Amino acid sequence: MTPPNPTAVEEAPAGTPPPRRRPSLRLPRDRHALVDNFFRFQSLFGLVAVFLIAIAVSPVRNGENIFLSSGNLANIVRAVSEIGIIAVGMTFVILIGGIDLSVGAVLGLAAVGSATLMVDSGMGILPTVLIVLLIGTAFGATQGAIVARIGIQSFIVTLAGLQAARGIARMWSGGLGVPIAYGDGPKEAPEAFSLLSGSINGVLPVPAVLFIAIGIGALLVLRSTAFARHVYAIGGNEKAARLSGVPVRRVRITVFAISGLLAALAGIIHAGQLNQGSPNDGSGYELDAIAAVVIGGTSLAGGSGSMGGTIAGALLLGILNNILALNNIDANVQLVVKGLVIVAAAALQKLRPRIS
Amino acid sequence: MTERPLVRMTGIGKRFGGVQACRDIDLTIAAGEVHALLGENGAGKSTLINILSGVITDYDGTIEVDGRPVSFGGPVDAQRAGIATIHQELDLVAGLSIAENMFLGREPRTRLGGVDIRRMRRQAAEHLRTLGADLDPRRLVGSLRVGEQQLVEIGRALSLDARVLIMDEPTAALADAEVERLFETIKELRRAGVGIVYISHRMAELEVIADRATVLRNGGLAGTVDPRTASRDEIIQLMVGRSVDALFGEGRNEPGKVLLDVRNLAVTPRRPTPGRTEPAGVDLTVRTGEIVGLAGLMGAGRTELLETLFGAGGSGRRSGQMTIDGRPYGPHGPRAALARGVAFVPEDRRGAGLMLEHSVAENVVLSALATLTTLGVVRRQAVRRTVAEQLTALAVKAASPAVAAATLSGGNQQKVVFAKQLLTQPRLLLLDEPTRGVDIGAKAEIYRLLHRLADAGMAILLASSELPELLSLCDRVVVLHRGRTVATLPRASATQQAILAAANGDDAKETR
Amino acid sequence: MRYARRAVAVLALTVLATTTACSVEKAGDGNGGTDAAAECGSGKEFLIGMSQANNAEPYRQVMNDDVSNAAKDVPGFKVVVSDAAQDNSKQVADVENFISQGINLLIISPNEAKPLTAVVKKAYDQGIPVIVLDRKVEGDAYTAFIGGDNVAIGKAAGEYYAKTLLPQGGKVVEISGLPGSTPAAERAQGFREGVASNPQIQIVASQTAEWLREKGQSVMDAMLKANPDINAVYAHNDPMAEGAYLAAKAAGKESTIKFTGIDALPVPSGGIKAVEQGRLQATFQYPTGGREAIDMAKKILVDCQKDVPKTTTLGTTQITKDNAAQVYTQLGGKQ
Repeated sequence: MTPPNPTAVEEAPAGTPPPRRRPSLRLPRDRHALVDNFFRFQSLFGLVAVFLIAIAVSPVRNGENIFLSSGNLANIVRAVSEIGIIAVGMTFVILIGGIDLSVGAVLGLAAVGSATLMVDSGMGILPTVLIVLLIGTAFGATQGAIVARIGIQSFIVTLAGLQAARGIARMWSGGLGVPIAYGDGPKEAPEAFSLLSGSINGVLPVPAVLFIAIGIGALLVLRSTAFARHVYAIGGNEKAARLSGVPVRRVRITVFAISGLLAALAGIIHAGQLNQGSPNDGSGYELDAIAAVVIGGTSLAGGSGSMGGTIAGALLLGILNNILALNNIDANVQLVVKGLVIVAAAALQKLRPRIS
Repeated sequence: MTERPLVRMTGIGKRFGGVQACRDIDLTIAAGEVHALLGENGAGKSTLINILSGVITDYDGTIEVDGRPVSFGGPVDAQRAGIATIHQELDLVAGLSIAENMFLGREPRTRLGGVDIRRMRRQAAEHLRTLGADLDPRRLVGSLRVGEQQLVEIGRALSLDARVLIMDEPTAALADAEVERLFETIKELRRAGVGIVYISHRMAELEVIADRATVLRNGGLAGTVDPRTASRDEIIQLMVGRSVDALFGEGRNEPGKVLLDVRNLAVTPRRPTPGRTEPAGVDLTVRTGEIVGLAGLMGAGRTELLETLFGAGGSGRRSGQMTIDGRPYGPHGPRAALARGVAFVPEDRRGAGLMLEHSVAENVVLSALATLTTLGVVRRQAVRRTVAEQLTALAVKAASPAVAAATLSGGNQQKVVFAKQLLTQPRLLLLDEPTRGVDIGAKAEIYRLLHRLADAGMAILLASSELPELLSLCDRVVVLHRGRTVATLPRASATQQAILAAANGDDAKETR
Repeated sequence: MRYARRAVAVLALTVLATTTACSVEKAGDGNGGTDAAAECGSGKEFLIGMSQANNAEPYRQVMNDDVSNAAKDVPGFKVVVSDAAQDNSKQVADVENFISQGINLLIISPNEAKPLTAVVKKAYDQGIPVIVLDRKVEGDAYTAFIGGDNVAIGKAAGEYYAKTLLPQGGKVVEISGLPGSTPAAERAQGFREGVASNPQIQIVASQTAEWLREKGQSVMDAMLKANPDINAVYAHNDPMAEGAYLAAKAAGKESTIKFTGIDALPVPSGGIKAVEQGRLQATFQYPTGGREAIDMAKKILVDCQKDVPKTTTLGTTQITKDNAAQVYTQLGGKQ
């Protein structure tokens, strides 16, 4: 009584899909899996490829490959750590089909907050960090609530949030960067805060370790929690998710809160690395973070993507920046190259067989 | 029909990789004929019409139009040759007017090169009149009902001077009254000498409208019959290759106590949404073990009622009483409904039922994640086991639980939606057009499933546009008209005529 | 799948273990002094890293050009320029990359003082001579600072206002540079010192336009609404003064209001040309120090001079219609 042909070639409605759109169905299973895995770990392969290219083209000094020197590798991860942490939060937002443009401004706000609370208000590190993280989380959650409850597109809400966060940061800091001096006296921050700019055993920069730890944490969350399934479901088909009993609003708000929280954390690290909290810091970081997510293979339409991809994407951007700089490529040419890489990554996604 | 056919397809074959989609198929279409194309999903219908409409350009065999061999380089060539296709999912732009849609891409020009809007509207109005459709060509297509949109598509085909019209499941989205009207239009076209290829899953329609039926099975030709004389069983046997037991179920055991009781339910929307008919005085009860049908014309408010019962309707003030098990019931959202044991299988399974790009397994467990997690972490083993159980229980045909839901056939997709909702262990199952776009084999399976569930004590409320389905499946049929209950017909007194009369708002006989 | 999960867990534990087991060292202590400085002397090749804060500012572009052009005249000098695009973090990374590359000397025009102090110290501690241009860093971990004296320039402008431009006094609005940047603060401070001798001059408003011409225009629009009777506009740089001029012109007030700027870049769009063409009354040269930096680099690297002056303050030139054309040629401006 059942259709005898489970590999039905034509269950899709006529006309819309020219059949050649799905070449994957014709492949034998193992080769199919191979192709699928290539696209799934596209960013990882990209990362390895860029890494190998970087080794090949790196200048060599006194017989040492400059790119591979431990100091340089540490610098790369340190340099992408803030963008990377933001991109981790951005991945959640993009997975539900949203976007968060406010993260760079929230980073600036958090940097100002860290500096002001410690230097001007004389607070300790723990209360400062907690308050700043709370501010970031609340800011993100508010944006999420506006998106979820009123139904305004996240692009617009967070564009407004960007402006608001910058404004608050400027008001709070009086428009000036708040320098952080260390010591026990008044108007001085606790010495321990400067550890954020240090490294473990002189090798692993602290921000890099934080980035990797958060990245792995988020990767585990995204792999194995019900929350993550809900995130994917909303991005895949919001209506279906709602009708399936997914708490769409709550998940939305949580996702934006996570993004705000991580942007604030990046802001604290930023302040610690630069010994200053400036309201202008972090401008344009949202675009770098989005680029990392996109290079990582997460679809801006939501519903598909991975945290591993984002981490790889961030590192790839970092390596790219580094190797271009080490070879003294003109700054303007660097911008063009970065643009091309983003388009190439997105184009590669398009080649991916749509149905796995 | 003595002269040579408009189109003659000979020895058509097409292979996709390892799958032989079509094999040595001959098909002729004569002027003024309605030629039905039958077959289960995967039988080769879509491939065949894709070849005829120029979507597929590399195939075996020959096509002749008016006796001359042709070779289409694309859909445009086919259109030039007078072959137009109306797809199941209509190719209209919602944001443009009827006239703009009809002439999309070939708008009449003024001497200055601008679009000659007046001429466009005039011609569009003419075509609509030919079809007996009383529509203002300036209206936006997005504001039309599906049946009206279909008329626009047909109008576009007419404006192309189409002599062959391929219609892919044209009645799938239509209510019965609209089907009537479509048939009138088809008869008009037939009189005008247009050859029509008509694809449908609905047997009853074919008896009314088709002159000839070609049945495909597994990519090959299974036979050609005259649907006016051939029995349904005969046709179904051609389609599935086996003889058919009774497709439709028998009466079943006695229903139990009242589970859902709805009294005078009405929703006053905060902002009226065009095209929605909110409940405006609904009375109904559903008992455990009972299947209650919801009948009504397009726009009678069946979907809206089910959504309201599931807490997924439009925002607005709700009045009247709803109880489940005698306790007040008024869900704020799907979550609350699911918590009270109410599950919903929506009409639009691609748009609202499934995450098409996600795996079958991910779809199946979505509703029931809470029972499959420890401290928020999904238990993979449990998920794997549950998915396997559900797929077996519902006989879902999928290469593996890891394939994307989109790769499944319509019937199997529907079963996945069922599996997802059944995992929540509902006591009341709300179904909106559960067999739309599902082939006859899968349909039968779904009917059997519903019987099994009802026998196990589940209460089922089912909305359908197919009257035979309601009549054979349901213990009672509740008929809606403009959001109100106008009749409740027990199985014994429910007939097509009685339901249609009530649905059209004629004197409703309240029987219970 | 289970394997992958275990691998991740092990990785996480490793990270955790390293985090807890190891001491955390402060920045700069780590890569203790590999001596990056090559032996000085003539006839050798030297790689000079020029870390620019923001190429998008014409002033900084001219600075880059001055450095590159001057370096062409010194045999063996090769200059590589990086652009931080106004991002402190990027500039830190730029300098780190220079250190990795093994540059022989660093010229840096810092985006902001505090955030770049640490990385400049890191380079300096590794034995790389560091010449800081235009904006200072904190502390004294650098070889030399070359810059204009913004207070002096502001003061020169102020005195020009007090004695020449508005001897009878009047209402002045100030359009200031990026808040938090030293030159903005100093140009404001110097100006107030300069106009103090003429109590008739009132500074009625002060708004930031972040060094940008378009913001100068919008800020001036707003200030004109609030203070319709302005006599003069003191802008912290020429582009903002030009922006303000455009706003006044739109309001039909360009002839009643006087405009002055600072920087006097020898480029066609610069302040000198604006003075020559009569849009600005005056501008005050803010020297880039690019040529001077290469001179000093030559002393350090080629001439092996050990004690270069820690601070070099460059003077300013007042440019009015009288000397505009002449100064333009003198500074090597393109016609």
